[in-house]
Order: sequence, then C-alpha cells, then structure tokens
Amino acid sequence: MKLDIAGSETIQTDIESLWRALNDPAVLTRCIPGCKAMIETAPDAYKVEMQLRVAAVGGSFEGEIALSDKQPPHTCRITVSGAGSLGHGNGEAKFEITPQEDACLLAYQGVGEVGGLVAGVGQRILGSVSKHLIGRFFTALRKEFEPGQALGAAE
Amino acid sequence: MTEAPSQFRFVSANRRVREDRRFVAGRGHYVADIALEGMLHVAMVASQHPAARIVSIDASAALALPGVHYVLTGEELAGGVDQLMNGLDTPNVRRYPLAVGRTRYAGEWVAAVVADSRALAEDAAEKVRVVYEPLAYLTKAEEALDPASPPVHPEHGSNILLDRQFVWGEVDRHFAESPRHLSFRVTWGRNSTVPIETFGVVASWDPWRDMLDVWASIQMPKYSDQISRALRIPTNAVRVHQDVDVGGSYGVKRGIKHTVLVGYLSRRLNRPVRFLEDRLENMRSGDAHGPERIFDVDVAFDEAGIIKSMKMRALDNAGAYAGRAPFQLGKPIGAIVGPYKIQSVAYRAQSVTTNKAVQEAVRGFGQSPTNYAIETAMDKVARACGLDRVEARRRNFIRKEEFPYLIPSGTRYDSGDYHTVVEKVLAHVDYDGLLAERDRLRASGLLAGIGIAACLEPSGGNSSFEPLLNEKNTTTTWMDSARITIDGPGFVTVTIHTTSSGQGHETLAATVVAEVLEIDPDRIRVVRPDTLESLPSNSPVGSRMAIMLGGACFHAAQKLKAKLVAIAAFQFGIAPEAARYETGAVSDPASGRRLDWADIVNIAHRNFHLLPPDTEPGLAVTHVMQVPTATKLPEDGRVQMYPCHSFEFHVVLIALDPVLGKPEIRRYVIGHDCGTVINPHIVKGMTLGGIAHGIGAALLEEFVYDDEGQLLTQSFMDYLLPSSHEVPAVEIVHHVTPSPFTVFGQKGSGESGYLGAPAAISGALNDAVDALGIAFDKLPIRIFAISDAVAAARAKQSQEKTSA
Repeated sequence: MKLDIAGSETIQTDIESLWRALNDPAVLTRCIPGCKAMIETAPDAYKVEMQLRVAAVGGSFEGEIALSDKQPPHTCRITVSGAGSLGHGNGEAKFEITPQEDACLLAYQGVGEVGGLVAGVGQRILGSVSKHLIGRFFTALRKEFEPGQALGAAE
Repeated sequence: MTEAPSQFRFVSANRRVREDRRFVAGRGHYVADIALEGMLHVAMVASQHPAARIVSIDASAALALPGVHYVLTGEELAGGVDQLMNGLDTPNVRRYPLAVGRTRYAGEWVAAVVADSRALAEDAAEKVRVVYEPLAYLTKAEEALDPASPPVHPEHGSNILLDRQFVWGEVDRHFAESPRHLSFRVTWGRNSTVPIETFGVVASWDPWRDMLDVWASIQMPKYSDQISRALRIPTNAVRVHQDVDVGGSYGVKRGIKHTVLVGYLSRRLNRPVRFLEDRLENMRSGDAHGPERIFDVDVAFDEAGIIKSMKMRALDNAGAYAGRAPFQLGKPIGAIVGPYKIQSVAYRAQSVTTNKAVQEAVRGFGQSPTNYAIETAMDKVARACGLDRVEARRRNFIRKEEFPYLIPSGTRYDSGDYHTVVEKVLAHVDYDGLLAERDRLRASGLLAGIGIAACLEPSGGNSSFEPLLNEKNTTTTWMDSARITIDGPGFVTVTIHTTSSGQGHETLAATVVAEVLEIDPDRIRVVRPDTLESLPSNSPVGSRMAIMLGGACFHAAQKLKAKLVAIAAFQFGIAPEAARYETGAVSDPASGRRLDWADIVNIAHRNFHLLPPDTEPGLAVTHVMQVPTATKLPEDGRVQMYPCHSFEFHVVLIALDPVLGKPEIRRYVIGHDCGTVINPHIVKGMTLGGIAHGIGAALLEEFVYDDEGQLLTQSFMDYLLPSSHEVPAVEIVHHVTPSPFTVFGQKGSGESGYLGAPAAISGALNDAVDALGIAFDKLPIRIFAISDAVAAARAKQSQEKTSA
C-alpha cells in the first residue's frame, strides 16, 4: 500500500548544525526509531538494521539508505528501502531546511510503499504508525540539540 | 421411487444428529489431535511480492538454529514431485506446493522450514533470506484479457485460462422478437467459506512398509490419487485416514499442495511431519478463496415481464494458478435459467489468471454468484415492467406439471412446485403486511427495502462440467459406496468411504439403513475406514450425500434384507417372494413360521449346512452407486448436470439509518423445498448456516487486494464474518416435492440458504435506496459503500430541490 508522508518541524538550532546532524550516521542511529545499526557502505550510502513492530507484526528488517541531490545545507533527497521476513518497504523523501530566528524549519515530503505482512495486517493503522514513527524521530532529533548533548559526537 | 413421508419410520423423523454429541462436548477428533512419535513441524516463508523472480534463497541462518531440521525450497521440491493437477487442459500453468523460480501472488509459499516445534519453525522462517526481483503484476480480471497484460505464467502465453461461448437455442431470434431489452453489470466479490479449523495435515512415511499414512482436514475427491501421482508412488502406498473430524469446509478443504509438501518432507526426512495453517497462512496462502466474478447480462422480455432469452458473460478472476477454479463457471450451466422458463441462453465463460491467491471450490461451486446475476435480472425486469417482484417471478416460473423440465443447456430438472412454495411463504410472512411495515419504516425516516430471491440448488453432484469444459476429460462416473455387515452376535456396522466435514453422514447412513432394515438406528455403528480399505467413493461435494450416500446405503441395505429373507425362506421351504420381512424378522404368512433376526444371523454365520445353495456365508454386502441421470458425455455443448434441484424462496426486510448506513435485517423468511428430508435438524442447520454465510457474502466478507497486489483482509480484524449481531432469527417454511430420481425422494440441502441469501439481501438494499436514484451492483455491499452512496444521493437531491 502507498503512504504519503509530509510535514514540517521546527528545530531549535542553526542550519549548519542541523545539516551536520542529519548527515551523521551516529545521530541518525539514535534518532531513527528501531534503528540498531547504521553502517556506511559508500559515500552517502548506508546499510541499516532495524527492529520494528506494527500492530500484530514485528520483526527485524535490513535496509539501505542513500542521500542524493545534496545542496548543503539546504536540501537533500533521502531514499530508503528495506526488507525483512515480515514485510518490505521503500520510500523517497525530500528535505528542505529554512533558517528562522534562532531555529530552523525542516519541511519534508515524500511517498512510501509497504508490502508483505506489515501491509496486510497493519494497513488500517499504518498511516498513524508512520506519523508516530516520524514524531519519534523528531523528538529524538530535538533532544540532540538540547543543552548537555554532545552534538554530533559518536557515543 | 418415492413414498409419502408418513410411510417412513426414521426418515424425516425428529431424531438426534448422532455426531452432535461429541462436537458439542468438545470431543471431536481433529487432525490437530494427531500426535505421532518424533513428529516435526512446518512453517512457511511467504512471498511479499505479487510477482517477483526469486534471485536467491539463503537458509543458512535458519538452519543454524538448534532444533531446525530442514529448509525446503521450490527448486528442490519441483525436482522431486510432479506438478499439481489442473482441471482444464492447461499444461503450462504449472503449480507446485512452493514457488519455483518466481512468485505469483503476495503470500505464496517460497520455502518450508521444518523444526522440532511450530514455534521454532516460525522463528527460523524469519531468518530465511530471500532476494527478490519484483516483476510486473496484475490484479484485475479485465486487465488480464488484454494480451499485453503481464503474464502470470509466461509459458502459457496469456492470462486466459478459459474463454468459451455457448449458445443454447435461438438467442438472436428471441432477442429480435422481444419488444424490450435490458442490460446490466453486477460483480461478485472474492469471498470464501473460511472454516474455524484451518487446513492441517500430518504425513508419516514408513520406509519399512513403503507406506505413507496421511491424516488431513480434507474434503476432496480423488485425494489419494492426487497425492500418489504428485509424489510418484503407487496409490496403494498412500493410506488416508478418513476417521478424522473436519472442522468446517464447504468446499475449501482441499489442501493438496500442503499434503504433497508434507508428504515429500516426510519421505525426505523419514519422520512424521505436520503442517497446520495459522490463520494468516490460511487466509492469504491456503489457496482457498472463492469465485470473484463480473457478470454482464442482457435479457429480452415482453411487456408482461416474461423473459424469453438471456445473454450472460461471466468473467472470473481465478488467481495465480488454474486448479479447479474454471469449473466453477461450468457447474452453473446446469441451472443457468434458475427456476424460470427462459427459452434460450448465450453464455460466455471466461476465467483468467491474476496475481492473487488461488481459488478453491466454495459452497455451490459458482452457483450463488450466478443466482445473484439471474435474480438481479428478474428484479430489473419487474421494475421495468412496473410489476411486483414476486409477481414477475411467478409469471416466469416453470409450472409444477411441466417437470421433468428440460432447460436449454441440456439439464432436465427433476421436480418442483415453485408457485406453492411462494404462496406458503407469502401467507406465512403476510406479504401485504410486510409491504406496509416497509412503508411504515420509510415514513419514520429510515431507508427500508424488501428483497426477494427464488433460487435453485442443483444437487447430487456429478462432474459433467469437466468434460463440458475440457474435451480431454471423459469422466462420466461419479460414484459413492456403502458396505454393511452384520456380525455374528447380530450387530450392524455400516462403512462410509469419505471424510465428513460436519454434514452428519453418520446420522444419514444410520437413518437410511435403519429405515430399510426396520431396526433402531441407534443400534447401527457407522465407521469410516482408511482409503485402502474403502470402496470407490467421492467426497461430499456438489450437495450430493443425501442422494448418493443415502442412495448407496439404501441399495446396500436392500441387498442385505434380500439375503436375510432368502436365508429364512429357505428354512421355510418357500420362495423368497412369498416370505414377509418385518422389523428384522422373517415369517411365512402361509404356515405362520417365523425366524427372528438372531436366528437368521446365526444361520448365516454358523450354519453353512442350512444356507441356500450358492450363498456366501456371513452377512456382508456392498453397493457402489452411480449418480442418477448421469449417463452421457456432453453433446453440442449440452449436458445433464446434477440430477436433483432443490428450491428456495427468500423474503427479507432490511431497514437502515440513512446516515449510518448499517443494514439491519428485520425479517428473514425462507421457503425451502429439498424433497424428502432425511434428518430435519441437519437440513435446518444447513439452511441457517447457509443464510449466515450468504449474509457474509452480501454485506461483509471480501478478500481485498490493494493496487500494489497486497491482500488487505487477511485476519478477522479486516475480513469480517457475520456474527450474532448481523444474523437474524430466520423463519423456515417447509415444503416437500419429492424427486423422482432418488430413493426416498430426497434432494440436496448442503448449499441451501447460501445460494439465494446474497441475491435477496442485495435486492432488499436496492429496494431501500431505489427512491434515491441509486443502486448497488457489487457485492459485498459494505456499510461505508451504503452510507457514502446515500449521502451523495441525498446531497444531489437537496441540491436539485434548491435549484428547482
């Protein structure tokens, strides 16, 4: 089934820091819900391992993330594909960062497609689950910029 | 031979269904109760794509888990077994239990994992890594007709499995002669029977005896033949145990792919192997979906509402493999005009492959969708002529005195009295009162409608549709058998030779044998031996067992009775014809001498010196019965389909809130005539269950695929079954028109209710929304479809009012 993803979030930081964070596998590993590991396989290409649960279906997924059309520090296209025994998915989204007064506006828009058991069993809640997961991502991302966080540093 | 019901002792009597006791008490014995020493368990790796090339399968992580014994792939399996049978002559539509090289629907099994427990097998299945290369796919039947559509089976050359045009009678002339014509399309959604017990099978290969023992939740003709053919072992090396209770079927329990898979594994591993589908495996990959059909119908009629001719095109979405799905377009040919005197019919049957799960036989074998199309035509003709819908049907019905009645497609209907059944139902329901009640509901602000359906249940199933649709198939034999023995101490045992899926065959056999022998049915033991000990029989399909098992038991009991009489008459020194049999004893009316049951049995078992010459000792008889009226291969596209035709007449009142759109069935009455009833409780249960099933097909149940080829309704959260909230109290009005072709005048009733309920409910909803200028032409009619359509229509109406 197809999913439309779009929204915008305000992050309390400057545009350069936000750009760096979004390009840092360590930050992304902490922020992407269920992400266990993110390994760089080529410039701007990563292999990820995730553990996720949707409705009655949960399991591990292996995926690839690629960044393209980069125009630092403003826009970037992110392509995600993943598959596990319980489902598969792929998606593409475009990020756009606009500086604001002591913050940045991060707007994103994209489409995803989900198949397998996850689509069949979880379809009725997949829309809200994706919103929830995106929400968790941004909550975690904001935390990265809170005082006391070692921004961008690997653990 | 027919007798009036009052002449029977046990037939038609209000007697307990003997199987019910163990089922109600939870003491049935199902395949899940079979536990063999050293038994291994299977879980499946399922395809996530509607169509994909299998690039690689890496099972190493799964095999590394402790307790995991084997991972079987389609490639290995295809090398060790023959492809599963197709009904049609489509040899290049190859089907194996696991996908070979490519997957053809989301959920299709790609690999089977064998482990010490099902839980372990499931965990290991998650660790099998399959790399797919997605391919183009299709889900819609009309797309499949396009030669450019992505072929599900490239070797087959197209997605068309069957495209056959029949013309019975002078259709063109009748259309030209008729003053009025009408055309419409209706669509039957993909639903099924969805039994509580999913399919399960245990196979155990004994290399020291060369024997494959099989226990399965099966309802399938020629099951062991197909197992042996696929596994390339003799049929007498396959022993199917038929004394396994089957927890629901109505056609779909035909897990041949499951069985071949498990049989192969058992032989490969030399261990007993069990596979029980979980609900998801059953729903998305058990290959047990039902017909999904588009009907385009044209009818030619006159101002009086008499339909002279009909053109019907039925396009069925068979799913990814052929199986027997196309035959479900063939069986309805035997009742293609319903209970009506339509003089000529053109029928185009089209079956296509798409990337959806595979169809299996479902209750009625295509008849319920066809009845829905015919009844929709009747409603539309009534509306066009300004006739009451009951009156329109009455005018078109075959009359009682016209039976046996030959329909254009070659079947002779046995008997019926449709007008009387309708009168009885209308009297029972108070039809004028019901119309007034509908109008009162409407006046109160609700939408309300009455639905009418008059349908046939062809019964006594043969397989005449096989040679009709596949010239290479010359099958006309379709037998069922019974064996009866009386042991030395005088107890009677009847053997029946198929599995049972809740139809009450033990009660049926005991009732019939008791009727003939005039002894207490409760004294009769009924058993189901394994297939190697069985007489040739088919399974309980095509609503046939009252006719066929009942018939075989009747004839066997007659043979046994004749032997008892002959032995006694020999003692009396009289001709058997002069002796009198009564309640198990034989007497000589002339001399007054009499021999009791025990005496005659004793002679048969112990006194060879007293037996008539050339008499076999003991008391054991068999009877193998052929389906009545099935004698010939098809000629000119015409064939005698099933021998008997039960009739059902539905009247239903539905009300619904126009905003909520949730239909509420206020009254449900069915007139039912299945000839002589053998056990009233069984027939009642079939009818009530059939109506519940029909409510599901009409309002709730559908296997929905999204545009990406994923099944969205694969659990009971989304595939909605009717519950006690949706199923109303049903009133049954009985009528008995005996069949001249059966031993007691009985007809079938295993599909009753289901064959007309969808048509009746659709009719009621369309009556309810008729004033809004809308109509529902696709089943199921879900709540959201109703409320959306009603809201749109009401918005349009108020807009028109404002602008007027």
